[in-house]
Amino acid sequence: MLSNMESSPVQNPDDPRSVLAGADQARQRLAAGLRLPTGLHPALAAAVAVQVGTAAYGIANHAAAGLVVALAGVAVFLGVAALLLYQFRRINGVRVDGLASQIVLGAGATPTMAYVGAFGAATWAAFESRWWLVVAAAMAGGAGYAFGAWRWWHAYRRDPAAHAGGASPRVLAALAVLACLGLVTLLAAG
Amino acid sequence: MAGLDPLIHAPARLQVVTTLSAVSEAEFATLRAVLEVSDSVLSKHLSALAEAGYVHSRKGVRAGRRTTWIGLTNTGRQALRGHVAALRQLIDRVD
Repeated sequence: MLSNMESSPVQNPDDPRSVLAGADQARQRLAAGLRLPTGLHPALAAAVAVQVGTAAYGIANHAAAGLVVALAGVAVFLGVAALLLYQFRRINGVRVDGLASQIVLGAGATPTMAYVGAFGAATWAAFESRWWLVVAAAMAGGAGYAFGAWRWWHAYRRDPAAHAGGASPRVLAALAVLACLGLVTLLAAG
Repeated sequence: MAGLDPLIHAPARLQVVTTLSAVSEAEFATLRAVLEVSDSVLSKHLSALAEAGYVHSRKGVRAGRRTTWIGLTNTGRQALRGHVAALRQLIDRVD
């Protein structure tokens, strides 16, 4: 029996159209078979909400407790992100840096705007001691961030080669360290 | 024809490279399952591609067992882009 590499998708190895079609089918087969970990979007939304809410509290708090809470929020977010990426790799046997960039960095207009908007609103609300608004802004930010990841996933499934690229794990780890240092500096300066 | 890369011109080799372009790295077993080929056939293609610097591989562990992870290098991605562009030109000429 012939394999996929040798049989139907490539009707004629001398016909460039059928050669390209066979290669595209193989790539689509891989992308179509990939599965996201169960509950990825709610978990991501919750982790971002926790990070935004705790950071806003920490900035408004001006005390050591605020710093601890803000760093704990970052730790929760990074822990959830690392777990989701590990699960994706374990389930599928592939690594997609584009997905990692979506989860850790919120790459793209939608998650960036959602995060920045929520962070600004939550921080203002924390300074005004409107805690219900801090929670609401953080939750909205988390939802927007997760929505961005959902949109990216659908775009990736349509055109995997165009969306597979992203920051490598080493770059993401370096950025996570920088983010923590930046947060500490911000809180110390405040 | 200029632009066609003899190393990935064979349909089977092109499928390997094109499939890898969808991910940053894939496990050997995952790639083998998607392409439905034997270990030896896939190993042969990957060895040739690695020798040309088109793919890189590293050893890893998954669920307690040793695995090999394979990814396209920048050279491999460029070669794929060039080859696909050349094939499309060929198609356009025929059309």
